[in-house]
Amino acid sequence: MENDETKGAEVTIRLGAAAGDGIQSAGEMMMKVLARSGLYISTYNGNQSLIRGGHVWFHIHAGTRKVYSLGYGIDFLVPLTQLAFDQHFESVNTGGAVIYDPSIVKPHDLQQGVRGIPVPLGEIALKYDKRPIMKNTVALGALTSNLGVKFEVLADAITDQFGRKNPGVAESNIKAAREGYDLVKNLGAQSFELKYDYSCTKPVLTADYAFALGAVNAGCRFYAAYPMSPASPIVHWMASHAKQLGLTVFLGEDEISVINATIGASYAGARAMCGTSGGGFALMQEAVGEAAMTETPVVVVDVMRAGPSTGLPTKTSQGDLNMMLGISQDDFPRIILAPRDSADSFYTAGRAFNLAERYQVPAIILLDFAIGDGGYSTVEGLDPSFTVDRGKVVSVPSPGAVSGGWFRRFALTDDNISPRSFPGTPDLMFVAKTDEHDEWGHDLSDVNSGLKEFLPLRVKMHEKRMKKLESIKKELRLPEIFGPTGADITIVTWGSSANPAREAVQRLRMQGVSVNSLEFTDLYPLNESEIKRILQVPGKKVALEANYTGQFETLLKRETGIIMDAHIRKYDGEPIYPSEVEKGVLSLRKEVHAVV
Amino acid sequence: MVLKLTDVRTDLFNDWCPGCGDFGIEASLQLALTEMGIDIDKVVLFSGIGCHGKIVHWTNTFGIHTLHGRTLAFAQGAKLANPGLEVIALGGDGDGFGIGAGHFVHAGRRNIDMTYIVHDNGVYGLTKGQASPTQRLGEQTKSLPQPNINSGINPILLALSTGYTFIARSYAFNTRHLKETIKKAVSHNGLALVDVLQPCPTYNDIETKAWYDGEDRRDASGKAVPRIYDVNSQGYDPVVTSKMPQEDFDRKIEQIFRLSNEWGNKIPIGVFYQEEDRPTYADRILQRIPTYVEMPPAKQDIFGTDNKSVVDLAELSRELAIDATEI
Ligand SMILES: Cc1ncc(C[n+]2csc(CCOP(=O)(O)OP(=O)(O)O)c2C)c(N)n1
Ligand code: SF4
Ligand SMILES: [Mg+2]
Repeated sequence: MENDETKGAEVTIRLGAAAGDGIQSAGEMMMKVLARSGLYISTYNGNQSLIRGGHVWFHIHAGTRKVYSLGYGIDFLVPLTQLAFDQHFESVNTGGAVIYDPSIVKPHDLQQGVRGIPVPLGEIALKYDKRPIMKNTVALGALTSNLGVKFEVLADAITDQFGRKNPGVAESNIKAAREGYDLVKNLGAQSFELKYDYSCTKPVLTADYAFALGAVNAGCRFYAAYPMSPASPIVHWMASHAKQLGLTVFLGEDEISVINATIGASYAGARAMCGTSGGGFALMQEAVGEAAMTETPVVVVDVMRAGPSTGLPTKTSQGDLNMMLGISQDDFPRIILAPRDSADSFYTAGRAFNLAERYQVPAIILLDFAIGDGGYSTVEGLDPSFTVDRGKVVSVPSPGAVSGGWFRRFALTDDNISPRSFPGTPDLMFVAKTDEHDEWGHDLSDVNSGLKEFLPLRVKMHEKRMKKLESIKKELRLPEIFGPTGADITIVTWGSSANPAREAVQRLRMQGVSVNSLEFTDLYPLNESEIKRILQVPGKKVALEANYTGQFETLLKRETGIIMDAHIRKYDGEPIYPSEVEKGVLSLRKEVHAVV
Repeated sequence: MVLKLTDVRTDLFNDWCPGCGDFGIEASLQLALTEMGIDIDKVVLFSGIGCHGKIVHWTNTFGIHTLHGRTLAFAQGAKLANPGLEVIALGGDGDGFGIGAGHFVHAGRRNIDMTYIVHDNGVYGLTKGQASPTQRLGEQTKSLPQPNINSGINPILLALSTGYTFIARSYAFNTRHLKETIKKAVSHNGLALVDVLQPCPTYNDIETKAWYDGEDRRDASGKAVPRIYDVNSQGYDPVVTSKMPQEDFDRKIEQIFRLSNEWGNKIPIGVFYQEEDRPTYADRILQRIPTYVEMPPAKQDIFGTDNKSVVDLAELSRELAIDATEI
C-alpha cells in the first residue's frame, strides 16, 4: 500500500431527498466544489425509477488521495426528507454530522458521537422564492461551511449550474447558499477540514461519458440506441454533439433495429457502435451472430442494471456476463471487455474499435449502473493520442483476390482474417450472407449444404471464424494486481467491483491483513495459460462480483480449472461497499465461506 | 457506361422453383439497373431470409443477405453511413410485414432515400407455405390444413399511413411494368415501396399466374381477361404535393383507399402515391449537420496521416469533465 494516510484525508457525503427535489444536480454541484478544491472524487447516484417523489440520494466520496468507490459510511448526511433520514442515519460514522431542517426532519435515534446540525433550510429558501426549492442550495452552503471550503468555490459551481440559463436564479441561489454557509460558520460547528488545493481541479467523468468520449476519439461516427437506463447518458451526449463531431445518431424503433442499423453502418464503412442495457441486449442477440457470421465489426456497450427482466432499472449488477458468453445460437467469436472506472472506459472504447475491426468480430463492453450513470470518478491525464487500426481494409484488389468479378471477401488466410472492402469500392464487389457461405460469400446453405464435397468447406469457414479467438486472447489484457504481489488473500474481481475491493484492500492492509486484489477487465477470450500462471498464488482466493451465481468465477473455472476458496456475491441492486468486501475477507481469514 | 443484362446477372446456379414469380422480379430489377445507367459499384442490394433473399447472389452488385425481417433496419444504417450508395432493399411479405413489420412502419417516419421491393406471394415460401401476413382471411393455400384465421394487411395503406413517399404495386410477370416501376422508385427522392404480386407456384395455389392473368375468365373471343390492370394508364395520377388544396389531397387519399382494397375481379397495379417535396432524412440531417452529405460517417477521415485520432479531445472534455483544461 503506497498510501497510509488516515481518515482525515477523505470524506463521505450523502444527500437524500425525493425525486424532483433536484438532489442529483445538488450532488453534482457539491462534487464540483470538491473537485475544484483539488480532491479526488467517486460518486454514486442512488436513483429510483420514477420522476417525482420516492427517495433518491447522491453519494460523494472525496479524498486527498485517490478514492475508488463509496468509501466507508457517511461523514455528512444531508436528508431533505424524513425518509432520507430514516434510510441513512444508521450509516453515519462516529464523528459525523447530520445537517437537517428541524421543521422537516426529526433526527431520532442519532448514534453517540454523531452531531445534529439544525439549519432552517426551508425558511431561508422561502426568502428567495415562493417555493422552498432552494433548500438544497442552502444545505450545500451549510455543508461547504462545515467542510471549511471557501464559499467562492460553491458560488462558482452555482453560477455554472444556473448562470448561463438565468443569471437571476443563480444570484438568488448564491444568496441562499451564503445564508446557510454563514449560519453554520457562526454556530462554530465547522469540524472537518481536509487539505484543499484550489489551484488544482480534478476532472471527473462518469463511465458512460468517458466511454462516449473514448469512442468518438477512436473514430466512432455512428451511434444507435433505444432509450434504456442506465445507458441513456451515452445517446444524450452523442446527440448533443452530433453536429460538432459529424456524428449520425440513430434512435431506432427498438433494439433490434438499433443493432441491425449499426451493423449496416459498419458494413458501409463507418466506425459504428450501439448501446443499451441488458433487456435491450437480449433483443439484439440474433444480430450479434449476424455480425460475427458476416465478419462485420461492431461495438456494443451494455450498461448493466439489476435484472432479470425489467428488474431494477436504476440499480446496479454484474449479471449480464453469462448472456454475453452465450449470445444467440451456436459458436462464434466475440470479445468481452469490462472497464473498472471512467478512465478505463475511455481507453476501452478505443481498444474495442481496433479489436473489432482488426478481427472483424463483435466487441461487447460491460459497464454498469454503479459507474455508468451518476457514478463519477476522477480522471487524470487521459492520453488522447489514439492510434486507429482499421485492420485489413482494402481499396484495390490484390493478385488472386478477385475472380469472375467477385472479391474473395471471406478468403481463408493464415491468420484467419480476410481482406475487407466497403460497398461502393470499384472492383471489390462481394456478397455477404448470414447463412454459411464460401470464400466469396456464396451459399453453402442451399444446394450445396450437406453434400460431402462441401462439408470440409463448412468446417473450414466455421474454424476460420472461431480461430480468431486464439489470436485475440493473446492481445487482451491480463488482470492487474492492486496491492503488493504475494498476499495471504487475493480478491479476484472484475469490472466495477474492482473499486470497492481497492478500498477494502487499503483498509485491511492498514489493519495488518495481507491481502491484494486481482482485477480483470478483459473477460473473454481468456488467455488460459497466462491466467493459470497468474492465479498460481500461494494465498487463498476469494471471488468478488455483483451477481448470484458467480458468473465470472464460473467462467474462470470453466476456462482454467481454477477453483476459488470463497466468494463474495452481492445482488441487492446496491453497489458493493468496501465494508462488505472487508467483512468477506475477514471471515475467509477465519476459513468461513462468506456471502454478504 | 452502357450495361447489358449479362453485366448485372451472375452465372451462379439459381435454385428457385420453376415458374416462380421471383424470376420476374429478378429480371425486372436487373433490366432496370442496366437501363438506368447508374454507377453499378454504388448499388447495394439488401435482402432478408426467404426465397426472395437469394436475389443478391444472382445479381452482380454489392449485396448482403441479412437476417429474417431485418433488411430495412440494416439497409437504413448503411444508407445513413454512406448516403452515396444506391440502396435497394428486397424483402418477403413474411419478412417485411410479419417479423419485420416494426421496421417497415418506422422506416416510413424517416423517409430515407432508398427503395424497398417486397416479394408478396401470400405465403412463407422458404418454410413451406404457411400463411403470410398478406394472405386474406378465409383463404386456404396448399399447405394450410385449415383456412387462414387472420385477415391480411394492406401494404399500400400501411405504407401510406406511415410516411412512405412513393408507393407502388406491380406484378412479377409484367416485367415491363415492374421494371419501369422499379426505375421510378429508385429515381424517387425518398423512401419508395414497390409491393410486387408474386406467384409462388409451389405453395400458393390461389393467387397463381393463371389466376392473375384471368385464364379462368374468357371474353367472347376466348381471350383471357386479366385481373390485373394498370391504374396509371387508366388516368390515375399519383402525384401529391404539399401545396395542393386539402380537398384534392383528401380525394386522392380516398381514391388510394378504394383502389388498394380492390381485389378479386380487378386488381390495380401502378403508382398509388408519389410525393416529392417531403424532406428526406438526409435533408433533415443536413439542417443540423451541414457537412453530412459530403462527410457522412463512412466517408470521414477518422485519423490523420500519423494514424492518430482527429478529434479535439481537450475541447470536448472541458465541458464534460468539471473544468478540465486537460484530462
Ligand atoms: C428469426 C427467424 N425466424 C424464423 C426463420 C425461418 N424462416 C426462414 S424464411 C421464413 C419465411 C419466409 O417468408 P417470406 O418472408 O414471405 O419470404 P418467401 O420465402 O416467401 O420469399 C422463415 C419464417 C428465420 N430464418 N429466422
Ligand atoms: S417456394 Fe414459392 S417463392 Fe419459393 S422459390 Fe418456390 S415458387 Fe418461389
Ligand atoms: Mg412470402
